[in-house]
Amino acid sequence: MNFKMDEKIISKEDLLKICQDVIAKGHTLLTPGMNEYFPVKDISQINLNSSALPAKTSYKSYVFPRSEPVLYYKRSKDDVQLIDVNVDGKNIIILGAKPCDTNSISIMRHLFNWDYSDEFFNLREKHFIIIGLMCSHYDEYCFCTSVGSSPVSDKGSDIFLIPLDENNFALRIITEKGKEFIEPYAEYLKPGDETRSKQVTENVKLPEVVFDSKEVYEWLGENFESPKWEGIGNLCLSCAQCAFVCPVCHCFDIVDEDYSYSEGRRMKNWDGCQFGNFTLHASGHNPRDIQSKRYRQRVNHKFRYYVDKFGEILCTGCGRCSRGCPVSIDIKEIVSNCKESV
Amino acid sequence: MEELREYAKELLEKKEVAAVIGYTQVSENRTKPIIITDPADASKLVFNEYCLNNLSVYLTKARINAMCRTKDKIMKLAICAKPCDVHSIVALIQENQVHRNDIVIISFNCHGAVKDFGYEFSGENLASKCITCETHKPLYFDKIFGEEKETPKASDAALARIEELESMTHEERFEYFNNEFDKCIKCYACRAVCPLCYCQRCITDKAIPRWIESSSHQRGNFSWNIVRAFHLSARCTGCGECDRACPMDIPLSLINRRMAMEAKKSFSYVSGRSLETPTLVGSFNEKDSDELFM
Repeated sequence: MNFKMDEKIISKEDLLKICQDVIAKGHTLLTPGMNEYFPVKDISQINLNSSALPAKTSYKSYVFPRSEPVLYYKRSKDDVQLIDVNVDGKNIIILGAKPCDTNSISIMRHLFNWDYSDEFFNLREKHFIIIGLMCSHYDEYCFCTSVGSSPVSDKGSDIFLIPLDENNFALRIITEKGKEFIEPYAEYLKPGDETRSKQVTENVKLPEVVFDSKEVYEWLGENFESPKWEGIGNLCLSCAQCAFVCPVCHCFDIVDEDYSYSEGRRMKNWDGCQFGNFTLHASGHNPRDIQSKRYRQRVNHKFRYYVDKFGEILCTGCGRCSRGCPVSIDIKEIVSNCKESV
Repeated sequence: MEELREYAKELLEKKEVAAVIGYTQVSENRTKPIIITDPADASKLVFNEYCLNNLSVYLTKARINAMCRTKDKIMKLAICAKPCDVHSIVALIQENQVHRNDIVIISFNCHGAVKDFGYEFSGENLASKCITCETHKPLYFDKIFGEEKETPKASDAALARIEELESMTHEERFEYFNNEFDKCIKCYACRAVCPLCYCQRCITDKAIPRWIESSSHQRGNFSWNIVRAFHLSARCTGCGECDRACPMDIPLSLINRRMAMEAKKSFSYVSGRSLETPTLVGSFNEKDSDELFM
């Protein structure tokens, strides 16, 4: 896309006026809270704080719901009738998305348009408008800079905000979609000052680059049978917290739910590769029968298989999986120490 | 701390145990579980107010038990356990999942733990279970470390919440829990961290017939969380790990604690307190109260 980025300045007050209008028009406006991105009911709930900790979960569930019907069915004596599901293409505006969340959709897009084009994902994505916000949070779990992103990256955003001072933001229009969204509100935009915004972004403390993803890729290829996996497998308790809070993990399971003998629906539900029954075959054989093999799969999928298949790392470096792990397994630590001996 | 490390080192060197399951420091306010097999690594062990994990969950893992089986003998397993974690171990022994003689319990005089990682230890940030804790000294142990210290005082907010829920009507309470369970994403972290969720195959993983829908919609979430509460009734020892592990902050321990209160009131039974008594659900007494039957 040959879209020329444009930078403006907007006051917080005017930005909130836009939000008010978005809500009044019946669109869904999501903004990050402590635990999740939530639909804003009143603009007083909006907290555009660039130094906030990433919400415990990303907005993944709005494009790829944790559980949704993909079709309904009716059975009669000698026929099965299938009924399509209508996905609502409701506009969703995400305000204040962290840079470690903004590119999640574009990473997942590869998978949902690979051997089969997932119309549910695509339709929802089409109605997404992502307004990213520069991030000045930094803790021991952050590693966005090691996976090719950065707290000041506007990748994946349609519009990107940089706080200039307490009341003003630099507003970068990144995509055509972003331009279309902001155009009706042109009256609120003041001419931009790129030297000012650059000054802000240059002063942001960047997470240290702790590993070279190319080296990790190589190491994974050569160390499928490394004894390291066993050590991690002994500690990991096989829940899917890591996969479900991950902004880019996308595995799902298809199950049929019968309401009665004659009626039911087919569901698409989140699934996680750390579950023991994730790869359990009907025969009873399980190719990933022990936890070490399952953890190895998780790391390989993120840093090797996805790169092979789609050319991108399946990780945004947000650190959610490690922050929330009940047994404090830190993926950043595992990947960055991969070369060290056991 | 040095004594603990020395003791662990000695156990490993003398080959009395195959491994020591303990805690190691990650950062100032955070520890993580560690499984030590090399005596040289015993120096990594710590014990402090930030040792939150209930490590007894590892005792029933096949891969951990496999470490104990060498060619010529079966070795013991040493485990670092807070006094409240010892309750879980007792419950596991009562339920014949662990043999007392197979493990070495290394315990501590405990004066409370912090409610979650990232908080400074204080009365205000005390873990909910520590507020009403009566076992600062473990009921069973093979070795004990640490000095006895006063637990910071804090008010029992969870009990106040339970009482508040009790005062609601059926419908209001149903709505409250439905809203809470609605947040559930079915990551099963609650099940994974629970020492008493040791089933080889959980009922929720059974597909033929499917008792609990795997979808995380309202019905699926409600049935999962209620079934888990039933399965833990009079078994849960109140370690609070499910609360801590839940990424969606569902107050799971409110239900478990309420069920434990019921077991105490109706049957004078508290889970995980005595190796001599049979479990409540595993024993029958004709004098038991019938009041709970509908």
